[in-house]
Amino acid sequence: MEAERKSTKRLSTARDLAGVVAEYYLECHRAKAEGKPVGWMPPMNGAIEIFYAMDLQPVFPENWSPVCAAFGLTPAHFEVSEGMGYSRDLCGYLRNIVGYLYGDMHGQGVPLGGLPEPDLILSFGGGCIPAMKIFQVLEERFPLARIFRADGPQVAVEDIRDHHVAYAVSEMHRLIGFLEEATGRTMDYGRLREVVELSDRACELWDEIMSYRKFVPTPISASEIGIMFVMVTRQGTPIAVDFLTRVRDEVKQRAADGLGVIADEKVRLFWDNIPLWYNMGLFNSFEKMGGVVVAETYSAAWSLRLDTSDPIEALARKSLMSYSLVSCLSIERRKEMVLKSCRDFSIDGAVFHQNKSCAPITLGQADIRKALAEELGIPSITIDADHMDQRNFSLAQFQTRADAFMEMLLLKKRF
Amino acid sequence: MNTHLLVAPFDHALRTKRERLREAASRGKKVLGYFCTYTPVEILHAGGFLPVRIWGGRGPVEKAYSLVPNFICPYMKRSLENALNNEYDFLSGLVQGYTCDVACGLVNIWKGNIPMIISHSVPLPYNDTLQSREFLRSVLGELMERLSKIGGSFPDGALGASWDLYTQIRRALSDLSRRRSQGRLDLDAADFVTVVQAGFVTEPEAYLTMLKELVSSPDPGCGVSPREGIPVLVSGSVVEDANVLALIGKHGLLVVADDLCTGLRSFTPASGMGESPLERLVDRTMKRFPCPSRSHPRERIPLVKGLVADSGARGVIFLFQKFCTPHLADHPMVSQALRDDGIPSISIEMDEDGLLDAQVATRLETFSGMLEAADGS
Repeated sequence: MEAERKSTKRLSTARDLAGVVAEYYLECHRAKAEGKPVGWMPPMNGAIEIFYAMDLQPVFPENWSPVCAAFGLTPAHFEVSEGMGYSRDLCGYLRNIVGYLYGDMHGQGVPLGGLPEPDLILSFGGGCIPAMKIFQVLEERFPLARIFRADGPQVAVEDIRDHHVAYAVSEMHRLIGFLEEATGRTMDYGRLREVVELSDRACELWDEIMSYRKFVPTPISASEIGIMFVMVTRQGTPIAVDFLTRVRDEVKQRAADGLGVIADEKVRLFWDNIPLWYNMGLFNSFEKMGGVVVAETYSAAWSLRLDTSDPIEALARKSLMSYSLVSCLSIERRKEMVLKSCRDFSIDGAVFHQNKSCAPITLGQADIRKALAEELGIPSITIDADHMDQRNFSLAQFQTRADAFMEMLLLKKRF
Repeated sequence: MNTHLLVAPFDHALRTKRERLREAASRGKKVLGYFCTYTPVEILHAGGFLPVRIWGGRGPVEKAYSLVPNFICPYMKRSLENALNNEYDFLSGLVQGYTCDVACGLVNIWKGNIPMIISHSVPLPYNDTLQSREFLRSVLGELMERLSKIGGSFPDGALGASWDLYTQIRRALSDLSRRRSQGRLDLDAADFVTVVQAGFVTEPEAYLTMLKELVSSPDPGCGVSPREGIPVLVSGSVVEDANVLALIGKHGLLVVADDLCTGLRSFTPASGMGESPLERLVDRTMKRFPCPSRSHPRERIPLVKGLVADSGARGVIFLFQKFCTPHLADHPMVSQALRDDGIPSISIEMDEDGLLDAQVATRLETFSGMLEAADGS
């Protein structure tokens, strides 16, 4: 069975995303060429704002993996990493980036010019284990880069107390001290405040855009969720704010016009876990039967407002919360978020991606499914797949299950 | 099966663990479970609780699949299966020092599905700095607060007494490990894993008495014949089944040392520096022989090589729990570093039924033959 690998995007601004992505990677290479320090770092923490405030260039190897998947490069990368002894049972992000680093990193055909080599690496403890291990491999691969080992102990959002915040704040100061020493630049705290304000503005816009998904029909679906690229790579810059403002304006207008992503929206769906980056077209596969993926768990990671009165503490709190919000660090909080989301967005059914490449998000899904059924009467299905490795996904099996699920939901809604 | 006289009390302790722990609970003792040895057991004990490491064991996984996917490690799947089958009906709660993603997730899944009065994950720092030590003191203080709310109390001197008790246990185990490695104690690897694991499920006071008797056993030269086989080191995470180590012994290999969390890593180092028991606990936590879930492979590699050199091992057998991300992710770098030093290795994965497949015996035989040939060349 053949299916469209790329999602169909209805927003003109979402279609502009390719240009935003290309410009970001161009900027990364320009920075390298001009001698601006390039630092590789994990996403979903406060380091990005510190980098932009110090006019340093952040690069996100984890984010590079979805790009590789979209360009169909992952099979070749997996071949390299698995040849080095990395087990197929490991996260696909890890296997992909290792394969890229030790494979075609400097190849002629690498899209977007690939990633410029790092001068700085923010290795870390915290977040998930595969992400930590990715950065340990980077340390080996780039022995000349200056290494900062960040520490972000894992704590559930609802359990965060003053001593957790105090430690995260001390890590922010330590990072700034390291960057000042390594690059010879000085942190301008006024500039940092401006960057954090921009970051918070992006979060505000993000929340506003997501809120328009409450409209029936929804003016934006998971097919357009690639817009989160700017939340990963551009937080703290006017670029993110400008792009999201345009997205917001378009979504707002579509909502006012009653324009849905499909003409006849019958069923509203929730998606749990990371998308299948090599087959984003899957989101559209429900549409032939009137289903639209209206909300998802992953977007919650960017729904974090920052208290701009204390930029350092705001970034410390962001670093503590982002991973916790979407992982098994707090299944209880995630359950509350999913239930709220399903209520707010008038969800009819949920799709749980049991993701072989991500145990932290997959763990807890059974409890959330149960709560959805018992508390809200919302049915759900589980699909077995992998956000990076298409060998762990059967499209035919998915299609059969998705069709049966949609038929059941349509029957339930008496269509 | 352990029939050795010295090991019999430990074997018995393992076989009767559930009955003993139920009996302790019926006497009013609050038993708290943990998965990983990074859990600060001294604090649980000082608060009046009995810390017990959760066992997984071999067997099928059925009920657990209603709550977790199949691609997590067998130890965690089996422990949940046991919990859903009321195997741990003596437990009052779960306290876990944060190590891997799956252990973290399982703490929360237990919390939602197994009746308990406490479920707490201790967020441990990764770096060793003044600030991280201060942070660790804070999270340990937070743990004491939480334990106090469920009936724990920490009178003056309690933490010091618990620290001393567990330190004595760790010193005794270190001593046994060293003597075993040097061929001065008639315990094979399977015996030793049995001895260590008995400590996870026994009251520490009673366990220390058992260990003292074992430690006082005579050195060879008093009639113990040296064991035979090509010396190897085993490295991995949880190896609960002593038969796995016995199987290695059946193929001409002699396990002389280990880097397992059911072995050396659980008691190394034995103590820590500091003026107070809390400071010593913090210091020991920071200086532990690290698990891959909490360290860079570059930190572990020299330590593993050191174990190989000290024990005279000719090769390394990696024993992995299937789907164990921290160990699998480090394996390419660690095995390459060993290869660079001319130390051969193989890796074997274990599932919930024990060793993963029937090919393991052939692989062990081949590995043994290869080491033998290398010795002869």
